[in-house]
Amino acid sequence: MKNRILLVEDDGSIASAVKLNLQVAGYDCVVFDDGKKAAEALTDDHAYDLALLDIMLPGIDGFELFSYMERYNIPVIYMTAKTDSESEIKGLRDGAEDYVVKPFDILTLMVRIEKALRRTGRLNTVYRIRDVAVNSETRTVTKAGEVIYLQPLEFDVLLLLLKYKNMTVTREQLMAEVWGYDYVGETRVLDIKIFNLRKKLDLGDAIKTLPKLGYRLEDR
Amino acid sequence: MQLWKKAALVCVSVLLVVISSCASILLLYTQRTVLDLSRDQAKAKQLNLAASFSELTNYYITDKDSETVKESLLYYSFSRFSDDAAVLVKDGEILYSNMRIDPAKYLPLQNSLPEDETTIGEQRLCEAKTDGHDLLIVGSIVRIHKEYYCVYVVEDITDVHQSILILMCRFVIICLVGIMLGAFVLAFLLHYGAKPLATLSSVSKRIASGEYDVRADVNTKDEIGTLAADFNTMAQAVQVHIAELSETAERQRLFIGSVAHEFKTPLTAILLHTRLLQNVNMTDQEKHDSLSHIEKQCTWLESLTQKLLKTITLKQEIIKERITAEELINRVQASTQQIMVTRNTQLKTSCDDSSVFVDGDLMQSLLVNLVDNASKAYDPDSTNRSILLAISNNILEVRDTGRGIPADAIDRIFEPFYMVDKSRSKKTGSSGLGLALVKQIADAHDAHLEVNSAPGIGTTVRVILPKQKERNNN
Repeated sequence: MKNRILLVEDDGSIASAVKLNLQVAGYDCVVFDDGKKAAEALTDDHAYDLALLDIMLPGIDGFELFSYMERYNIPVIYMTAKTDSESEIKGLRDGAEDYVVKPFDILTLMVRIEKALRRTGRLNTVYRIRDVAVNSETRTVTKAGEVIYLQPLEFDVLLLLLKYKNMTVTREQLMAEVWGYDYVGETRVLDIKIFNLRKKLDLGDAIKTLPKLGYRLEDR
Repeated sequence: MQLWKKAALVCVSVLLVVISSCASILLLYTQRTVLDLSRDQAKAKQLNLAASFSELTNYYITDKDSETVKESLLYYSFSRFSDDAAVLVKDGEILYSNMRIDPAKYLPLQNSLPEDETTIGEQRLCEAKTDGHDLLIVGSIVRIHKEYYCVYVVEDITDVHQSILILMCRFVIICLVGIMLGAFVLAFLLHYGAKPLATLSSVSKRIASGEYDVRADVNTKDEIGTLAADFNTMAQAVQVHIAELSETAERQRLFIGSVAHEFKTPLTAILLHTRLLQNVNMTDQEKHDSLSHIEKQCTWLESLTQKLLKTITLKQEIIKERITAEELINRVQASTQQIMVTRNTQLKTSCDDSSVFVDGDLMQSLLVNLVDNASKAYDPDSTNRSILLAISNNILEVRDTGRGIPADAIDRIFEPFYMVDKSRSKKTGSSGLGLALVKQIADAHDAHLEVNSAPGIGTTVRVILPKQKERNNN
């Protein structure tokens, strides 16, 4: 099951970029550019795991929209250009999960989305790529239904690549996230883990090497 | 030290010095006069005594008289004349005395003999102190039958000294009490007189700490009252200036805030799409879309920057020229032609043969902005889409029959970045700066802006130019 995310943002360019990013990372994303329309549509379809709301919206604003989300028990992350702490405090005090200020980095947003989903117990713990299924809770990996044994570090590398599916993960990011920020030593260990993953899971072409940049797990 | 304390102290010390020195001099003179008087009295008495005594004894006593007779005659005649304190001395020996205090204690007995004939009858004066008495002694030598006697008169002047002393004591007491009383009254007066100063001081401290609305409540009619009134006037001026300054600062803060806010949305979009292009394997169509989003946002930022620059730099000097209404209308028509075609709107014009004295480029820009705004006032499906641009008699007017402006928004439409309907304005490509620019241009011309609008009926904006006489350039 993919996590389903509601995005209400009146700027088309921002909405399209966020939507594409969410989709490639494995989320379903529904976009509205008007607060009122979004609120009205909720009565028919409210099966969302998370809502990303702009605050200054045509129709009804994000703060007002929050009460609709509350009614259907949808966690909210505000995504706004309002930098004043009053708005931030109001947003968070009302019960929003998070508050992201524009301009924001997309990876930051992704991390916040993941944390919010995990906090509210809605995070999809099973990631899929082709016939491989990875369960981040039980730390098990299956390929075509058969359990494959992975070393712990190999598992962590695979999970990170899956979380940022279709997005470039730099070598630095991988080293920092898996080995820890204070790790000093051969980065060749990373190459070995990638090599093992490709071999064990038959993902030779899916895990793409981007020279001098990092790796990307592609399924499109 | 406070002023009233200082003044009281100075007054007390000055008075003390002046009065005490005056009084001392006065007392000294009095003492001397009284003493002189006593001396003269004593001298007169002694002269009288000596004369009477010598005359009588010389008359009564003859050489034939025995010593005893002589002596008793001497005693007799001396006692007869000496009703006051008097002493008769011969060869340092006291022959007769009616003094209570023993004369031997204070009389200068040793010089009772004359040095020569001339000293006979000459009065000698001296003072002495005995048993707590001040005595004034006057003596002279008399000759009685070739024998020399000293006749002394002793005057007790203790009382004189004492009364001077008592006088001095009384004077000191009276003086001290008077000065104290005076100082007290002076301090009291000064203290109360200076109270308004303390009020002024505390008020100025409060003003310094930021309470600009406090005033000194001083109603006296003296110099301090005038000072307080002036002070209040100053405080009022300061309050007004501070209010103006903080208003300007607040306006600028809001303006900069809105500018930053307006830049954020396009920047976020550009950033997000750049990241997408960098990090995600996208289809060619997706890449194309992303790039066109970036391009759109960049163009938007560019036009926003242009308008912003224009708004900010407009403050510079404007160059007015005389331009006919017709020419101005032609220029506006030419530059709005494209907009009118794309928005399917018609621009109707009307003008008289007058001319206006304005900065042609700026006024054109003002009118283009108004016409552009008017063209956005129509809903996409409305049928009668025409705008009237009229210039006559220093009044420039742009009228549309669009959706109108809500009454509560009219006051705010000239604020930078204010948009009545934000989502719709975005779609028509409004920056929210157009009317702010119009306002600035109008202000630069000292022109008055008048907006009449009713929702559903339309909007009329009038620019009323001041009836200014053209400066003679010759």
